[in-house]
Amino acid sequence: MKKLLSLLLTLVLVVGLLAACGQDEDKNDGDTNTPAAEDKEEDKEEPASEPDKEQEVVIYQNKVEIHEQLFAFADAYTKETGVKVTVKTSGGDSPYAENLKAEFQSDRQPDIFVIEGMGGYNTWKSQLGKFDGDEWIDLTSLEFAIDGDVIGFPVAVEAWGMAYNVRILEEAGVDPATLTSQEGYKTAFEKIDSMKEELGLDSVVSMAAGPDMRWVTGLHNFNGYLSAGLEYGDRSVLDKLLAGEADEARLTEYADWVELLFNYADRGVLLQGNYDAQVGAFAMEKAAFVHQGNWIDPWLAENGVDFDMAYAPHASVGGEHNAIFIGAPSYYVLNVNSENLEATRAFLNYMATSEAGHNYMVNEAKMIPAFTNVTLTPDAPLSANVATWVAKEGGAYTWLQNDMPDGFGMGTIAPIYEAFGKGDIDKAEFIAQLISKIEEIQ
Amino acid sequence: MYGFELGDDNMSRQSKEKIYFWLFLAPALLAFIIVVIIPFFMGIYYSMTDWTAIAGEEATFIGIENYKSMFTDTAFHYSFIRTFSFTIISVLSINFIALSLAILVTREIKFKNFFRAGFFIPNLIGGLVLGYIWQFIFKSVAPEIGEIIGFQWLQDALLLTESDTALVAVVMAFTWQYAGYIMMIYVAALLNVPQELIEASQIDGANFFQRLRNITIPMIAQAFTISSFLTLVTSFKQYDIIIALTNGGPTSEFAGEIVNSTEFLAVYIYNVAFKYNRMAEGQARAVVFFLILLVVSIVQVYYNQKKEVEM
Repeated sequence: MKKLLSLLLTLVLVVGLLAACGQDEDKNDGDTNTPAAEDKEEDKEEPASEPDKEQEVVIYQNKVEIHEQLFAFADAYTKETGVKVTVKTSGGDSPYAENLKAEFQSDRQPDIFVIEGMGGYNTWKSQLGKFDGDEWIDLTSLEFAIDGDVIGFPVAVEAWGMAYNVRILEEAGVDPATLTSQEGYKTAFEKIDSMKEELGLDSVVSMAAGPDMRWVTGLHNFNGYLSAGLEYGDRSVLDKLLAGEADEARLTEYADWVELLFNYADRGVLLQGNYDAQVGAFAMEKAAFVHQGNWIDPWLAENGVDFDMAYAPHASVGGEHNAIFIGAPSYYVLNVNSENLEATRAFLNYMATSEAGHNYMVNEAKMIPAFTNVTLTPDAPLSANVATWVAKEGGAYTWLQNDMPDGFGMGTIAPIYEAFGKGDIDKAEFIAQLISKIEEIQ
Repeated sequence: MYGFELGDDNMSRQSKEKIYFWLFLAPALLAFIIVVIIPFFMGIYYSMTDWTAIAGEEATFIGIENYKSMFTDTAFHYSFIRTFSFTIISVLSINFIALSLAILVTREIKFKNFFRAGFFIPNLIGGLVLGYIWQFIFKSVAPEIGEIIGFQWLQDALLLTESDTALVAVVMAFTWQYAGYIMMIYVAALLNVPQELIEASQIDGANFFQRLRNITIPMIAQAFTISSFLTLVTSFKQYDIIIALTNGGPTSEFAGEIVNSTEFLAVYIYNVAFKYNRMAEGQARAVVFFLILLVVSIVQVYYNQKKEVEM
């Protein structure tokens, strides 16, 4: 018996050791995914005799998945204009922000690099050049601007709204054009809800507010309070929030919207669903709407979903709405010390204004360009729809969810949504809790 | 090179042994100092600063500010209470189940080695994987079972959305993972109970429960000490199962605030430090967490040891 026991214990020890090794291996795997090797290749190519050394643009970017495409596009650009463009990439698992610091210590700083909104801006403030009068600025409303100075070129666009299943709405006799206000939604939801059985639905909306999905409520849904119904770029509600002030009237209207969504959601998905459960309910045509962005396209494609879908605006507050939440998660910025500022700006402008640039962004890199002059449409259903919203005048509400204090969205307020969804607190209490949390911000 | 190699004459045996002692100890001691002692004191220092972990920013000393704030933090108080309830429930349930299993697999039954290995296997599954497995069970399998046996409550219940059922869910998952391991400790102890004593009691006509109470349990008191220590400490530090199973949720109300009902101390400290980016405050709570754990486990070991019998 004792022998057996000691054997077992030894086995446990060995297994423990193996498990530890296994973890190490995983980590290593992750590291090798980084295209460091590719970086080096291009580094070597660099001195490969471009006679006009001045005319060289170095772009240091963070999207591993578009490295090849951008490289090919840069190559074509060189052939056409004679300006050499070098693409360097680091990202995925290797920390771009830290590598960028190293890149700045080297003797050839990048002319273009990437920041991801305010956080990056605050770190790199002193190094950033300005765009001025560039053609592309008039073609987008998504540029990154501080006090009227245009700093960042939007790399791509992502957006969320109320994604709906076109067929179900048609069968229910709901015209998506009526989905522009809380009243419009209410009528539509009631109608669809009464026809749930014939339409084969579990619920009208696929909404998630559980512990795994706090970004949906605390960040995306709450962003409606911050920016819905306001001019693009209006930060007044956010600024008040950052000063610890809540707009009670606006919050009350907003709470009606949250209540509406929660009332017509499936309780299981709402309270304990995860990403798969939420998107899955929509994908299996068990829900007519889903509160998610166009990043669910790859998920839908992978699972063979091919019904027609489109976005309707969120009626987060009272009044008429004709915009969805569109934002750029990252921006190309200029290095203020660049010796080729003109050539650099010309390159970015070419990307935004030429057909080749559009082809690269839409068909090669599979992104949604932020520019209104783009006529190509992405082939993924929701992304294609987002592109039409981007082209629409005033079709965008601002992304402000990432400019709230750290942890406020997902940590502080998201649990209040869950409690409201469960019915632990009523609407008045929901509003009161949100106000008290906003007031706690100094 | 060193004194002890050359100066044999003027060095006593004792001091030579002393040098060997420290030489052999040095590698382990050095590693221990570098990875435990130094970070520990650095941690205490950082807990008294406004450290943010942003490279290039110097931390300034602010005394016990970070410690003061935890007295007014409702979420911390709640997390504290929940961690204690979780620890008590899981220590009891794990030890009870582990001891029952150990008694079963040390009796003369068929396939007992198979059972021993079987009960032990959940311990080899990582906490995250196990958390997701149990999440599936509570979300999808439990309602199915409710439907089959016609138990309406179970069929409709969203087990992971109520604070109490979620706590029980975490205890169940943790017990399933850890009971097999603790069982092995009890098995080892049970096999060491002297056979003479058992035989003598059998001759005296003691039944199974009398034997258990008067002989077995006192004889395996040492195993109780170690098992309850291990379960206490691991329950207190529980993190990965919670992250995978409930992610800190569901919400509950405490002192007028909405709180996360399974956000136990380890999870709570992580969230303060990394989600809210309040590194120094998280560190201060981690120091307090350490002190509490230290006191609780010393008290536990002290009282348990008193009950141990020496043969």
